[in-house]
Amino acid sequence: MKYYPGPVGKLIGELSKLPGIGQKTARRLSFYILRRSRAEVKVLAEAIIGARENTKYCSICNNLTEKDPCEYCRSEERDQKTICVVESPKDVIAMEKTGEFNGLYHVLHGAISPMDGIGPDDIKIKGLLKRLEDDVKEVIVATDPNAEGDATAMYIAKLLKPLDMKVTRIAHGLPVGGDLEFADEITLSKALEGRRIIKY
Amino acid sequence: MYIEKIVLKNYRNIDNTYLNLNSNLNFFIGNNGQGKTNLLEAVYLMATTESHRTNKDSELIQWNKDRALVQLKIIKTNFDLKISYRIENRNKLIKINNNPLEKMSDLIGNLNVILFSPEDLKIIKGGPSNRRKFLDLEISQVNSYYYHLMKEYEHILKQKNKLLKKMYYKEKKDLDLLEVWNDKLADKGASIIFKRLKVLKKLKILARLAQRKLTSGNENLNIEYDCNLKIEEKHKKEEIKNIFLRKLKEKQKEELERGYTLSGPHRDDLKLKINGMNVRKFGSQGQQRTVALGLKLAELELMKSESGEYPVLLLDDVFSELDKKRRNTLLSIIDDKIQTLITTTDTEDITKLLKKKNSSNSCLFKVKDGIITKACC
Repeated sequence: MKYYPGPVGKLIGELSKLPGIGQKTARRLSFYILRRSRAEVKVLAEAIIGARENTKYCSICNNLTEKDPCEYCRSEERDQKTICVVESPKDVIAMEKTGEFNGLYHVLHGAISPMDGIGPDDIKIKGLLKRLEDDVKEVIVATDPNAEGDATAMYIAKLLKPLDMKVTRIAHGLPVGGDLEFADEITLSKALEGRRIIKY
Repeated sequence: MYIEKIVLKNYRNIDNTYLNLNSNLNFFIGNNGQGKTNLLEAVYLMATTESHRTNKDSELIQWNKDRALVQLKIIKTNFDLKISYRIENRNKLIKINNNPLEKMSDLIGNLNVILFSPEDLKIIKGGPSNRRKFLDLEISQVNSYYYHLMKEYEHILKQKNKLLKKMYYKEKKDLDLLEVWNDKLADKGASIIFKRLKVLKKLKILARLAQRKLTSGNENLNIEYDCNLKIEEKHKKEEIKNIFLRKLKEKQKEELERGYTLSGPHRDDLKLKINGMNVRKFGSQGQQRTVALGLKLAELELMKSESGEYPVLLLDDVFSELDKKRRNTLLSIIDDKIQTLITTTDTEDITKLLKKKNSSNSCLFKVKDGIITKACC
């Protein structure tokens, strides 16, 4: 048998389009699926369709949600005067896990990168500006600590300057609980750049 | 530091080779095309993770074989270490003392080498990029953060140039966005210029000394950092950034018309002068070669002062091209403190030389058809 029969070939083909999955993994997954019972496979297929059809983007913060507006934007307990700007919905979950942040979010869905053809109009910056017409005291920019994330952060800060608002960037540097001697030079140099005065 | 042992397997034309090297002078003698440079290339690879002749790893593997291996045992002042470097298809695996490295760049700094080959004449004769590369490679070997800085700067530069090209076609130009990339560029660029000037300050003095030694005090070499931003040693990092930013602002209109960045450390150069005369334009072939050697010797001393140990010196086919006086000066600098690997086609001169010298600190190897054998020690 040189080729996989039509439907199996199609399944392998579709799976290998997913990120991080190559031909081999796609084949392995396909054969796993074929061995499962009809009911189990149905649950999987429905989960995929259900996730796609029943989630949408929040009309306020662009986060993934079942109901619009999302749970964070609806909540009255959260601090309405602080907005944390992140690159993707995954970052919202990461921030929520800390339990330290009780404000609102704004998901950009990307960062400015001319090489990938992503400009300020391709990510959700306009929506952010609109939200700031209400009474917002602080914008925390929590984009990734790389060239693109930093540039996006700076661009946002520039746009907000005339509004005379507090714009902050989350710190980057040493991991907590680690040893200084094991930190690589790059991280350590960054940490040195972002040092601050000890208050007591 | 010195290399005690080399193991090569399926590397270029070299099958299986185990060599015990002398801690001082090692001569590799053979006709053209026998594999002398391949051996030096393998050592260079272990210091920098890259070959100086190709950037395709697959070329390093012998024909009809699927993997190549290089292993070195290195003796340093206080400890010794083993490095193994395996190339297989498109992958490479580097281990230090049997521990695999996560990042290739972690290898840099374990073994320091300086390679001097006929191509190094390009540093003097070639375009500015050759001299920038010389300086950048030198700084990276003693400061791995600089290597990272260079990569980051190049990345930001690419992003900004792409943006400039896109803006060219747009009527409404988002200058705020350009300013953001300018700021990032100036930030990294200032760190690069600052570090370059700092290292050059030392290198300048060392190169001047080396040149005087090589020419019995007749020639005074002067190196200047030819900076398009007109930055001098006295400037602080913050000041450099501000000057850079001002220049970018000044040239913005022109940059938007041309679609690329017109100023910054990626357009700088080194000016080399002997007794006030530009070596690149007016130096003779011999003078240019001497300056190239002088620069390499200065590099040697700089590395010693930064890392505390002399690096391993690799001389590829340049020994026989030097006149007697310079050859002796070079040998007196190497003395018995620097391990040196020398390739040459010329047997007569070497045997004469070895007879004169104390034979316990030199080894002779014959290279033929990829087989390296110890001839005498």
